[in-house]
Formats: sequence, C-alpha cells, structure tokens
Amino acid sequence: MTDCDRRSFLARAGGAVALGFLPEFATAAPRPQDGPLPVAVIGVGRQGRSILGELQKMEDTATVVAICDSDDRRLRSGARRAPGAEAFGDHRAMLEKRRDVEAVFIATPTHLHRDIAVDALEAGRHVYCEAPLASTIDDCRAIVAAARNAPGLCQPGLQGRSDPVYKLAWSFYRADAIRSLVFMRGQYHRKTSWRTPTSDPARDRFLNWRLDPEVSIGLAGEFGTHQFDVFHWFADRYPIAVSGHGDIRLYHDGRKVPDTIDCNLTFSDGAHLQYNATLANSFERQHEVLCGSNGAMKLAWTHGWMFKEADAPTQGWEVYANRQQFHKDEGITLIADATKLAAQGKLKEGVGLPHDPLYYSISDFFNSIVKNEPVVCSVEEGLRATAVGILANLAIVSGEDVVIDERMLKGT
Amino acid sequence: MGTRFEIVAEGDDQTNLRAACEAALAEIEEWDARLTLFRPSSFLCYINTHAAARPVQLDDDLFELFAESLAVHHASQGAFDITLAPLMRAWGFHKQTGAVPRDIDSRGCISAGASDDTSRSSPASSGDLPRGMSDLELDADRRTIRFRREGMALDLGGIAKGHALDLAASILRESGVRCALLHGGTSTVIGINADRTGLGEDHWPVGLGVEQPGITIKLRDAAMSVSAPHGRTIEMDGTRRGHIIDPRAGAPVRRTRLAVVIAPSARLADAWSTALIVLGQRPPDMPDSLTTLIARETEDAMDWRVEGAEPELFSLKPLCGIVESEEEYD
Repeated sequence: MTDCDRRSFLARAGGAVALGFLPEFATAAPRPQDGPLPVAVIGVGRQGRSILGELQKMEDTATVVAICDSDDRRLRSGARRAPGAEAFGDHRAMLEKRRDVEAVFIATPTHLHRDIAVDALEAGRHVYCEAPLASTIDDCRAIVAAARNAPGLCQPGLQGRSDPVYKLAWSFYRADAIRSLVFMRGQYHRKTSWRTPTSDPARDRFLNWRLDPEVSIGLAGEFGTHQFDVFHWFADRYPIAVSGHGDIRLYHDGRKVPDTIDCNLTFSDGAHLQYNATLANSFERQHEVLCGSNGAMKLAWTHGWMFKEADAPTQGWEVYANRQQFHKDEGITLIADATKLAAQGKLKEGVGLPHDPLYYSISDFFNSIVKNEPVVCSVEEGLRATAVGILANLAIVSGEDVVIDERMLKGT
Repeated sequence: MGTRFEIVAEGDDQTNLRAACEAALAEIEEWDARLTLFRPSSFLCYINTHAAARPVQLDDDLFELFAESLAVHHASQGAFDITLAPLMRAWGFHKQTGAVPRDIDSRGCISAGASDDTSRSSPASSGDLPRGMSDLELDADRRTIRFRREGMALDLGGIAKGHALDLAASILRESGVRCALLHGGTSTVIGINADRTGLGEDHWPVGLGVEQPGITIKLRDAAMSVSAPHGRTIEMDGTRRGHIIDPRAGAPVRRTRLAVVIAPSARLADAWSTALIVLGQRPPDMPDSLTTLIARETEDAMDWRVEGAEPELFSLKPLCGIVESEEEYD
C-alpha cells in the first residue's frame, strides 16, 4: 500500500483507525457466484494445514490467496501447501494488504484467537474460527460482540453440527428415537504426549502452548469443547454445575497440565454428563453416548450407531438397516442417505463418512456465505461450548465444584 | 498405505525425542490420508476424479512427487509408471485376492472395460485401458496436473511410502533428532546418522530378511528400498506371479526376485526399486549415485548383481549363485 493509499484508507476507516481496518461489506448480501471465494488461513500448524488440505479439494469454491503465521518455519511449511498464496507473518498486515480476502480461517493457538477474530470481523471478513473459540470467557464475549456488529459471518469450528452422521442422529434424537434422556457420556482418548518437538528452546513456549498453564485450557477446553457442543445441540440444554479431577498419569516430564481428566456435568433437569479424556491411552478413541429409556446412540465422528432397548417400539426403516455387533449389543449403523443407498443395494458402502468431518464444516461455512444464510453453528453456541470447556478445566485444575451461572454462557 | 511404520530414535532428551517421533508418525498418517486410493476423501482420489476434466492445482510437495515420478519413468524406459490404477484394479490387486482378468490378450494386455467386478455381464469393449505417463500433463509454472485421457487414474503404491518417510525424516532432523532409523513395512528404510547407536558402527546394519539370509546393508544418512513381487500373488500359466505390474507388458513381472536400491531419498529408492523389479537390470540412464542389488532367476541359478557408486554398502557373504560387481565379495 502506498502512503497515499494508506492515508485514504485510514481516512475512510474513521473510528476504526485504532484497529486500522475498514469493513468492506456494508451489508452481507448474497455473494454472486462469479468465481472461487478468495480466502486466507491464519495459523498454518497442523490444524491449519488440515484446513488447507480440505480447501485444496474445493478449488471451484475457494482459492487460498494468503496464509499467515507468526512462526517463520511454519509459514514456510504452510506456503508449500498453498502455492500462489501470499505469506504474511502478521494478520493485521495481511488484512490490510489483501483487501480481496473475503473469508479467513483462524487456526492459531486458542489464546490468540480473540485479536485475530475481532480484527477480521471488524475488517468485514467472514470468519471461520477453530474451536474452542478462545481461552477465556471474556475473549469469547469479545468475539461474539464483534460478530454481532459485523457484516460478515462468524462460524466456530464445531464440526459435529455439520457432520452428516450427527445430523442424521440428531433428527432421530429429536424424533424421540431413544425417548427420555437418562444420562450422557463422552470421551477423548489418545496416546500422544501433546508436545510439539523443537530443537530451538526459544520456540518451545510458543509451540507448546497447550502445556503452558498460563494459557492452556487443558483437555476439557481443547477437546471437551467440541464434544460438549454435541450434547448441547442434541439435548438442547446446558450444564449448571461441573466437578472434576485431573492427574498426570503418564507424562512425568515436568508438565503441569494434566494428561488425564474426568468431570461430571449436571444439567438443570438432573441429567448428568460424564466426560473423561486422556493422552495416555487410546482405547475407544473419541465418542459421545446419549442413553435414553428406549435406546442409546453412540456417535464417533465418522460413524454412528443406535442401540435399541428390547421393549422399544419397532420403526419400519430399521428392518433394512445395516447392523454391527459390539459384544452383546447390536448397533444399527447410522448412514446418511440410507434410503437412497438401500434402494441401490449399496447400503454397506454408506457406512462411515467419505470425507473428514472438517470438510463438511468448511462446506457449510461457504454455503452460508454464498446463500447469505445463518451459519450452521452460531458464535453464541461457540461461546457456550467453549465456556463450559473453560469452566470444566477450572473445576479440574482447582479441584472445586464450579456452578455454571446462565449468565456465564451469554455474550455481553 | 496399509502397512506398519516404525521409528527407532536415540538421544539425550527423551521428552523431545518422543514428541519428534509422534510428529513424524503424524506426518506419515497425513500423507497416507492424502495419497490412499482406498478413501474417497483422499486428495489422490480427488485428482483421479477431476484431472481428466481440468487441470488440478497441486501443492509443492505433491508437484515434486509427480515430477520425480515422471523423471524416474523416463530414466527407467517406462518401467516405473504411476498411471497403472486401472490395470491394478483389473488384475484384482486393489483387493486382497488377485485374479487374471478375463479380457487379457496374448501380450498380457487387458481390454477396456475389463475389471474385477464379477457382476459385469456385458462383454468387454476393445482398446487399451486408459493409462500411460505420456498422457499425464504436469505444468511446472502453474503447478497443476491433468490427464489427457478420460478414465485415467493414478496409483502411487510404488513411491508413496518413500515420499512419506522422507518428510517424516525431515521432521525428525528439524526437531533435533540426530540418530534414528525409520521404516515403512520393512521394505523402505531411512537411516539417520548411526554414530550413537551403541552398535560400534558408523552405520545402521539392515538385514534383508529370511529369504536372503546373510545379506546386510550398511545404511548411513541414506535411504533404502527393497522390492520383491511376493506378497499378493496370482496364479498364471501355472506359476505364481506377484503384484508388481510391468507397465510395458500390462502383466505382473516374472523373473526378477529382488531389487534393492540405496539412494539419497526414500522416494527415489522406492520408485527405482519398483522399476528395477520390472527391468531386471540397471538401465543406462539410472543415476550412478544410486547403488543397487538385483537378484534375478536364470535357468539354473540365481544371478546377484551389485552395481553403483558404493557397492561396499552391501555385505553378501553367504550367497549362492553368481555375484557380479566392481568389487569382489568373498
């Protein structure tokens, strides 16, 4: 930008000079489909590269014209995944220079989301912000406030709401397929140190932010947030209290952030959600279970099953359903487009998702932009799920029960 | 890639060492997800679906992978070919059990329409299956790939493992790992500096396995790949044939039993070992810097040949048969 351009830009920006960005969309009118949407990815570590990988398969819909990372090595490695994209070390410089960018994907460390999301929204960009939304409830509220005042859309990366298996399960749940909710259970099990390697001690704190107690919201915040949102969405309710416990069971490497946690979330009607996460064992990976008086649902991101109680009424469709045995339980496989596939004799081919759940989440985001429709998961829901994750982590770290006041889950 | 990857690493900082190995294995998993033919979400499937209709944009890593595939194809006189997916499918090698296609001609070539789909009832139409590297268009300026024929499809089985291992090794080195051995399915191996292994050697000694007892390869800051046609096999003309297809004949290779290549990169070693299984000998355009061992069946013996820049990397002591190389082995 020349000095002259810069002056006129700042003059137009008026009250937004402090941030230096001018909203480019006076109104969020439906976007004419006159070519791929120019987008930027901010934060090109492993999650950012996953986003780049999915965008690579959407070249008719979007083109990555810019990438940004404050870490030089990551930026260089990200640039190899985004040919032709301009590389930036600072998101403000990128937003200022690349005025053609219509949407940004934020995949930086969680505690850095707030400034980037607020700046991008105030600059009129559509924002896809990875979940958890931020590392404090105040930061979440700042993003929600910016989103409410911005012409662009803001979608938190809570992928369950876009996942075809989960959408199908949700429709069954809402059709009373498992009847009265008895209890809920969720887990995230993985065998990994959660540590990013580096030969440069100066980069260690930046890269290993998840293990830094000053900014990390732990397993409950980083992983639980995604899964708590699934329970919020299905059960249409939010917890009112949480208690928890955390420990270091395997990685005695000086870390303070627990590698194993469990917590109990209580809902207003007395229902409970038991959640545990560990980095020390991967058995049964990541899933959510909703148990009702007529049956249970087990959701595992790319796969889903429904288990019926013997006294539950028979529904017609399940006669033709694909089934899978789990010890003494028989699961009815939840398959998106099952009726169509069954008619073609290809029901088994529909087991499992053809794409990663991230693909569907990004697709929904683009659909909302093109059609000017609300995002599939609102930023307010992002706040609620993140706040529950943050408060669960607080209960785990402090060892004290935490009451979740309804006001904590609302924007200002 | 349907196989097991392992890393052995040594160093003082156990915490960083574990994290480095995890990151390296995550890189391999990521490339497996991108390059597999067995998941419709892979980028390879995306290329196979769209590249005949329009050029598909590649990233730098993928472009370099395809460019190197093309270079090895030319230097190997067509023995290495990544466009064999339709042929592999027709021979049944994309399933666990292979079968001779019904529409095979006298040269071992398969007619278009032939497949392993047993439900097919209509007779196959004539003409070759859509394949051939000459119909693969790589645009270096735009970094795109395009198929010139409808129905073409890529299968990176001969190079993907090496590619993923090279990138995993880069992560180990960048993370400060100074001494490691990593392999994919035991057939492609990278040795990173062996000074600290406690083996009293300056190299990683890698044995060739039960079929070739006594053959040891000295690996130090280099990669090695072994190709052999055993594994998934089919019965044809009264003999078992392995899963490596000779692209020029359109049929599984016959006489070469084993090809080993030592190269600066696992990607190069992987591609060249596949090519040498097909060729049975080093082609004139093969880079001198690559060291090779080729075992080939003759009428009454096994012919073992070591060639290339560093034949001393092979220790072949108890071998039976003929050994020809610039160096003498006892």
